[in-house]
Amino acid sequence: MRDAQNGPDMGAGAPRSGRGSTRAVVLMALHVLLFVFSLSGFFSKSAAAQPFMSVEFVALYAGMLFILAVYAVGWQQILKRLPLTVAFANKAITIVWGIVWGVLFFGETFTWQMVVGACIVIAGVVLFSIADGEDQREADGKAADS
Amino acid sequence: MLYAAIYLTGVFIAAVSQVMLKKAAQKSYGSIVQEYLNPLVICAYALFFLTTLMTIYAYKEVPLSLGPIFEATSYIYVTAFGVLVFKEKMGKKKALALALIVLGIVVYATGV
Repeated sequence: MRDAQNGPDMGAGAPRSGRGSTRAVVLMALHVLLFVFSLSGFFSKSAAAQPFMSVEFVALYAGMLFILAVYAVGWQQILKRLPLTVAFANKAITIVWGIVWGVLFFGETFTWQMVVGACIVIAGVVLFSIADGEDQREADGKAADS
Repeated sequence: MLYAAIYLTGVFIAAVSQVMLKKAAQKSYGSIVQEYLNPLVICAYALFFLTTLMTIYAYKEVPLSLGPIFEATSYIYVTAFGVLVFKEKMGKKKALALALIVLGIVVYATGV
């Protein structure tokens, strides 16, 4: 299954087990990165409660920018090792982290309708990534023909 | 409602800044310094910083849990700009995906 999805760009000569475990490591690294990225929301939301340009505000804002910088560098490294569409599909997990941080740290409401809505959005994001991957392969195929 | 609109406008502006960066990446420049220090790239980053401040302002009222849901609207803008600016095509599957995202946002936002 996995090999058929990956296509020819995943290193056809690599040992089977090695290839699978490498991808697992990259996926795990991606999810550690997305977890860190989700904390940028925590910093933004905390900064919002502080007076504009107060010491607390600036510190929290700087913390958020630092996380975004780390994320930008890490994301580029992930994209070298994983198709863009796979990375984007996994990014939908940040919706779950947003709900968790909101409930845990800011006492936000949690309803089943939110869960249903989040599931529909995540399904949409994953389908978008699949469709984008197909469009991309089609465009590449046409480019190769001409 | 006003704060939600500010958040959503921020997501739109962030998408515009991404398009500007992509446009800049397609041009060829004389030196590496010029690749970064040209009006298009500087404007794009200025817009990006503006959106981070808009997000914080919006978070005065918008729940943190709603932020990443609103961020998903960027898929709509990315697709629209892809079609309008970069002449990419949109298939039926992608249209369905965008419809799901919009439906999910509405279901979620009315359930908060």
